[in-house]
Amino acid sequence: METGILTRIGYALVSLFVITNYGLLLIGSMARISAKVQGRVGQPVWQPYIDIVKSTAKRNSIGHGIMFYLGPVFRLAGGVGTYMFIPAVYGSVLFRNFSDSGDLLLVMYFIFFGQLGMALGASEGGHPYSAIGVSRGLSQMTAFEVPFALSVIAVAIQYRTLDITAIVAAQQGGFWNWTVATNPLAVVAALIAFLGMSMHNPFSIVIAPQEIPIGPPTEYQSNLLGMLQTNRAIFNGAKLVLYMNLYFGGATDIVTMVVKTFLIYFINVFVGQAFPRFRVDQSIRFFLGVPTLIGIASVIIAAI
Amino acid sequence: MSRAKIPYVPPEERAFPDLDSGKYLVMWQGPNHPGITGNMSLRLVIEGDSVVDCETHVGYLHRGFEKLMERRLWMQNFPLVCRIAVPEPDFNEYCYAAALEELAGIEIPEKAVWLRTLSLEMIRLASFLMWIGGQAGAFGHGTIAQWSVTMRDYVLDLFEELSGGRIYHMYIIPGGVRADVPPGFLRHVLETMTVVEQNLKDIELVMFHNAVMKMRAVGLGYIPRDWVERYGITGPNARAAGVRRDLRKDRGYLAYPRLSFEPVVGTESDAFERARLRLAEMFQAIDLIRQIVDALPAEGAFRERLPNPLHWRIPAGETYVSAECTRGEYGFYVVSDGGDKPRRVAVRGPSYTHAVSVMERLVRGVNIADVAGLMVSLHTYPPEIER
Repeated sequence: METGILTRIGYALVSLFVITNYGLLLIGSMARISAKVQGRVGQPVWQPYIDIVKSTAKRNSIGHGIMFYLGPVFRLAGGVGTYMFIPAVYGSVLFRNFSDSGDLLLVMYFIFFGQLGMALGASEGGHPYSAIGVSRGLSQMTAFEVPFALSVIAVAIQYRTLDITAIVAAQQGGFWNWTVATNPLAVVAALIAFLGMSMHNPFSIVIAPQEIPIGPPTEYQSNLLGMLQTNRAIFNGAKLVLYMNLYFGGATDIVTMVVKTFLIYFINVFVGQAFPRFRVDQSIRFFLGVPTLIGIASVIIAAI
Repeated sequence: MSRAKIPYVPPEERAFPDLDSGKYLVMWQGPNHPGITGNMSLRLVIEGDSVVDCETHVGYLHRGFEKLMERRLWMQNFPLVCRIAVPEPDFNEYCYAAALEELAGIEIPEKAVWLRTLSLEMIRLASFLMWIGGQAGAFGHGTIAQWSVTMRDYVLDLFEELSGGRIYHMYIIPGGVRADVPPGFLRHVLETMTVVEQNLKDIELVMFHNAVMKMRAVGLGYIPRDWVERYGITGPNARAAGVRRDLRKDRGYLAYPRLSFEPVVGTESDAFERARLRLAEMFQAIDLIRQIVDALPAEGAFRERLPNPLHWRIPAGETYVSAECTRGEYGFYVVSDGGDKPRRVAVRGPSYTHAVSVMERLVRGVNIADVAGLMVSLHTYPPEIER
């Protein structure tokens, strides 16, 4: 039975609410795990909620023009847009979102739309650190895009579709049908790109406190910062669900989704705690080196 | 005008770029910046992401230590001198106390000699632990920073047990030390050294066998050997350049001549070599602490009886006393006119050279991402610059 548009919007909002909360708890729990590695007690798991409430409750005192205000809006739109066209749980009416209305290309567009919007907004801030952070962010984004795009091309060739639901469907039936088993090189290239996308060490060059304190969001405060913090949760969740769908067989229930995405995100923390930060040029050179070659190899394997 | 190359400017000259050309960006790093070592700032002129010129700005912490000391009684200066280098106050205490003893002709007891040496090596270890956290943190490796700061806290626990203070100890006083070791203290020292040593091995594994760390630090901030004499570079910065200079060996003060150790000397003279050398000196400090604990006399006086400090007049004269601190030669030049206050005190802190003369020259051509890492690799404390 076809679901009405209003019902679907309602389901999408519920799904968005769930992924926002999951994303916040994920950030909180990973911060806690990082603290344990560092020998600290760490913040409470619910600290991201407190941060958002605090930021949102404050009044904005500095403005830098319309684009400055629109930056976080674009960023949030990018996060929400990414998530809305991915099926969070395969076969679920509630969590399928609008995945039947868009494909992988649209999702990739939304991934970068938010960052470009944020770049425009932050550049309006006028602070040198914002501009340098934007320049660093876009440079790194261009670089990690290469292995990620190659990996997506490999997946598209392998499953002969760009429809995410169809890609998940093709991986059903057990571990040996997952992309990680059928084309592991594509997964390796994508996961390395994921480290860059998540901006954890060694790719934390955009925020880089000791170099360009906080970078693009230097001038952002109050509710604008709250918006960026909210987007961070949604965007993280969306990226994780996308990776789960493309490479790890998707999820047929919410528990599987939570377990798989948690483990994927954990790679960030695992690597991030063990390495310092690359310099910008080193990061770009890295992404355009071995990960790109792995990506090309994965495309060749998929084509054969 | 070419945007590709930064023109070469000899180290002894300033670049003076044309700021009206629109080609450069002036950027301040500090005084409030996670990448600056304390209360100072760098005015950077950058082209693209490379530093063309740098000017250090100090004065944010100026208290006029040297002038203040001329208005206070000899003994009243003790709570003041330790504040000149906050993370390692004991070197100030030692130099000032030793200068007074030399002028007043006071011999300190044998036990005090060993306790002073113990105190100096403990604070050397604590200071290096704080530094290595800063060095790793400057390259974005927060895990190391958290580990090392925790270890430093364990050493500060020992100071609290010994002197009652964690940061400012005021343990070394003229005539000896302020108190004997409390019961069980030496056992706590040895236990703590075991924990710190194990942690340092972990840090060595994670930080010094790390490909990204090597990419960041190897070749960064190379100090040519002839700069050591030209700019008065001392300590690990000089030793990393291959200069075997360590006052503990060269002047043999306190109990150092009776301890078995050799100065650690490097060859590469870059940020990575300096870090590696300081790590080796941390292991060396642990070894020295263990030797001191073994050799510390169980009995005997720990200080000489002094005259009433409120009426203490030190015979006229002048002296210079120095010690090897974590950053190099730390010295106090003290002049007495026979009164109850110093006539003049001049402090020689190694940070003045390292953070001003050397930093301004080394930073040219460096990527702005590496400025913090370079600054920390020189290991400087701004209060020393503005005494």
